[in-house]
Amino acid sequence: MNKIWIIIQREYITRVRKKSFLLITLLAPLGFLLLTLFSVLISSYSQDKTDVAIIDESGLFSDTPIPDAEDETVYFHKISDNYEKLSAELAKKDDKQPKYEAIIYIPKNFDLNSPNKPGIAYRYVKRPGLSKRSFINQRMTDALQKLRMSLLHINEQQIEDMQQKVTLNFESLNNEKEKQGYADAAALVGMVMGFAIYISLFLYGTMIMKGVMEEKTNRIVEVLTSSVKPFQMLMGKILGVGAVGLTQFVLWILLMFGVNLISGAIFGIALSHPASGMGQLQNSGVEPDDILAITQNISSLPILQIVILFPLYFLGGFFLYGSLFAAVGAAMGEDGDQQSLMIPITIPIIIAIMIAINVINNPDSALGFWGSIIPFTSPIVMSALLPFRPEWWQIALSLVLLIGGFLLTTYVAAKVYRAGILMYGKKIKLKEIIRWIFSKS
Amino acid sequence: MTQLSLQHVIKRYGSYTASDDVSFEIPKGKIFGLLGPNGAGKTTLIRMITRILYPDSGTILFDGELLCDKHTERIGYMPEERGLYKKMKVGEHLIYLARLKGLSLAEAKEKVNYWLNRLEVTDWYLKHIEELSKGMSQKIQFIATVLHDPELLILDEPFSGLDPINSKLIEEEINRLSEQEKTIIFSTHRMEQVEEICDDIVLVNKGRKILEGEIKELKQRFKENKFRVSYRGELSDGVLDKLHVLSQAEGSVVVQFSEEHHGNDLLKLFIEQEVEVTAFNEILPSINEIFIRQVEQS
Repeated sequence: MNKIWIIIQREYITRVRKKSFLLITLLAPLGFLLLTLFSVLISSYSQDKTDVAIIDESGLFSDTPIPDAEDETVYFHKISDNYEKLSAELAKKDDKQPKYEAIIYIPKNFDLNSPNKPGIAYRYVKRPGLSKRSFINQRMTDALQKLRMSLLHINEQQIEDMQQKVTLNFESLNNEKEKQGYADAAALVGMVMGFAIYISLFLYGTMIMKGVMEEKTNRIVEVLTSSVKPFQMLMGKILGVGAVGLTQFVLWILLMFGVNLISGAIFGIALSHPASGMGQLQNSGVEPDDILAITQNISSLPILQIVILFPLYFLGGFFLYGSLFAAVGAAMGEDGDQQSLMIPITIPIIIAIMIAINVINNPDSALGFWGSIIPFTSPIVMSALLPFRPEWWQIALSLVLLIGGFLLTTYVAAKVYRAGILMYGKKIKLKEIIRWIFSKS
Repeated sequence: MTQLSLQHVIKRYGSYTASDDVSFEIPKGKIFGLLGPNGAGKTTLIRMITRILYPDSGTILFDGELLCDKHTERIGYMPEERGLYKKMKVGEHLIYLARLKGLSLAEAKEKVNYWLNRLEVTDWYLKHIEELSKGMSQKIQFIATVLHDPELLILDEPFSGLDPINSKLIEEEINRLSEQEKTIIFSTHRMEQVEEICDDIVLVNKGRKILEGEIKELKQRFKENKFRVSYRGELSDGVLDKLHVLSQAEGSVVVQFSEEHHGNDLLKLFIEQEVEVTAFNEILPSINEIFIRQVEQS
């Protein structure tokens, strides 16, 4: 035990004092900040303005308003120019800044009862994007609808009344805390936790793997194995890297708070600017009201459960996969050319995050249940499920299996590690690894 | 007194037998040569002694006790394929390795200072391992092996990569440790070093022990009654015809006798010839010759 402690110290200290550790720890939140800034900038500048001319030969739409886009991306101009003349004018390629980017042409014989035959043409100079296309289509449909209603002598107010939508209040019967918007809050928190495990498994898993490969390549294992058991080396490395990860996460959380303050200020400005922030939020389908509901609901999540269980799943997942990454590092050739050996451990992690994404929309699905029980996926899937208050027995079963799972992988990994670290000069085949696993120690 | 005793040790990897019923004893305080061609099973034997591997059957006794993990702190092993963490500093690296051998932090620091001082490399303490040359890191490796004052030292090719001056330095240290009654297992391909340093040897090939004994005794055992006579003057014709002459040069001849003859018989012949004998010596086989012959025969 004492020796494992000495190894943990070395693994920890040599990593934490590296310049690259400091750099990544500091730069990651900065990168995050830049990314948010960048996406805000992109959303406010990439949405270029499109001027659309409407030539209505039928004259049907003359009294029906076709409003411009709220995010200042599309403007409609009803004009009475000659269609042929204007299209010929716009088609001239040398015109760098044409007056209009497109023409909506409503033919003379346009019939309200069969609006697609003959249809309305949209002739463009610049090809509209998918979202723009559907926006324009929607605007024309709305206008058509209004027009038909007004023909039925329904007035503006009546139309508005008719179009009022209802939002159901989804609330739990057996849990008074699950108020409206709870599912959104739970999904958000669940996804953040699931992703945190997902990312750290890869980040620190590879760190463990590289550490093992380094020891193997520079032959220090030969010296070490005569002093300590391979199992002690394995444990020392996993725990040491785990401590590094923990340190980094704590630092990140602290830094994120700082960054959040700054980016919050920037976002605040962005939100008050309808062109950029709002547009982006609307595009992602999240209404500002929803965000309010989410923040209000976070306090009603099972916080105590999450605070206790999430670290358990984090650790469980880390140990389960950490030892496997170590085993792969030990089995890997010195030049690290056998990346394919990583596939058996990366696939379940990726499957887990895919299940997690599905589960937050479908918390009670069978997929979610099995995903949260099987130890290879449970750390990520169960973390995503925790805000949805899974049954206590489901958590208990999942935890027991996770502990069993990580004992098993550590046992298997220790065998592969033990045999692998002292094997150089030849490529290790999967068949050989399987033989190591089933050999007596 | 026996430091280490291997009894019928067998180790198999699948169908391949790396160590096939090997038995030998290493007396305390001796320098013991473990020899054999590449792939003979030397490393497997060493790894079993250092508890990296476990024998499938047979027993290994350390100082009279059944070898177990606690004994590894009394063993120092310098493997042939050796390395250090490149990013660590010499001082902290040595302290780390010493602590893994069970020394406390204070003891480790003291020993590291003592040995750096001893090998006159105190100013390397804060250097990174990656700054060291191959020979320099070899010295650090050697210090790492002896830091915890082990009773049994296992040195696998300790001189490879060292220049003659540093070789000499390490050799002196090995001899000094031997004088302190440390037992040393010395594994190498360089036979002239074996003759120079070792007291006893064991020769393994294809996992089997094929020869064991004291160097002096082995040379006697494998001698072939070869004698070299150097002389001044002329031998009369036909004198050498009765002898089995192996080689002849101006004023020197190498002769092989049959078993029943004696060096004195040859000397008598030359004295009768009335030539002046300037040198007369028996040619004993070198360990290298014995090694090659035994490996070829096995």
